[in-house]
Amino acid sequence: MTPHLEELPPADLDDPVVEAYKKDVDRSLLRENLKLTPEERLLKHQAFVRSLEGLRRQGARCDPASGSHRGSVPADLT
Amino acid sequence: MTTDFNRLIRVLADGGIECVLVGGVAAIAHGAARTTFDVDIVYSRNPGNLHRLVASLGPLEPYLRGAPPGLPFRWDIQTIRSGLNFTLTTAAGEIDLLGEVAGGGTYEQLLPHTQEIQVLGVVLRVVTLEKLIQLKRAAGRPKDLEAIAELQALLEERRKGRVDRST
Repeated sequence: MTPHLEELPPADLDDPVVEAYKKDVDRSLLRENLKLTPEERLLKHQAFVRSLEGLRRQGARCDPASGSHRGSVPADLT
Repeated sequence: MTTDFNRLIRVLADGGIECVLVGGVAAIAHGAARTTFDVDIVYSRNPGNLHRLVASLGPLEPYLRGAPPGLPFRWDIQTIRSGLNFTLTTAAGEIDLLGEVAGGGTYEQLLPHTQEIQVLGVVLRVVTLEKLIQLKRAAGRPKDLEAIAELQALLEERRKGRVDRST
């Protein structure tokens, strides 16, 4: 059973598993994000997701199984 | 399909939906660098809000995500009253509507642990970074361990006095 909202362990709980993952966190990215407003962070993320979608579409076009390789960079990635 | 976060946020705000942003979008609003592909909200189950949710999301033609096409799913007040948590796909992308979040939190219980943020000319409620970490931990999913690590690192950076424009 999950604990009640008020009984949850503190946010800064020292968990060895989480600490192990924390070593791989790129803090420079976090520091850059902290300089942005929440709106700027969300807009940056939206732009990133859109570029991923462009990449995915391009990847589908390059799929050898489709027999239609076109290797140009999508417009929204340039 | 790419989730149009901006559009979904506007629909929620313009519809006057009482909700709290949680999950990946809340993490991004706080400065996380991880990517997410859906919007997660905890919504109020009060009758007025349920009607507003139905009216606001209706034009986006919500449907159960991952369900085979053709199911007799109707986005109406009866459906939302009968359920609690909905994972939906819409014309604007993916959205999870949570009537209750792991850890026992309803919208009303979460409210004291939220802050307002201004995005795209609208004001939204987002769960605090501290509570977001606690909720992720309460969810108990192994896949969240990396996310918790990043959010804790974010908390540490804030506490070190790094510039944070969230507040």
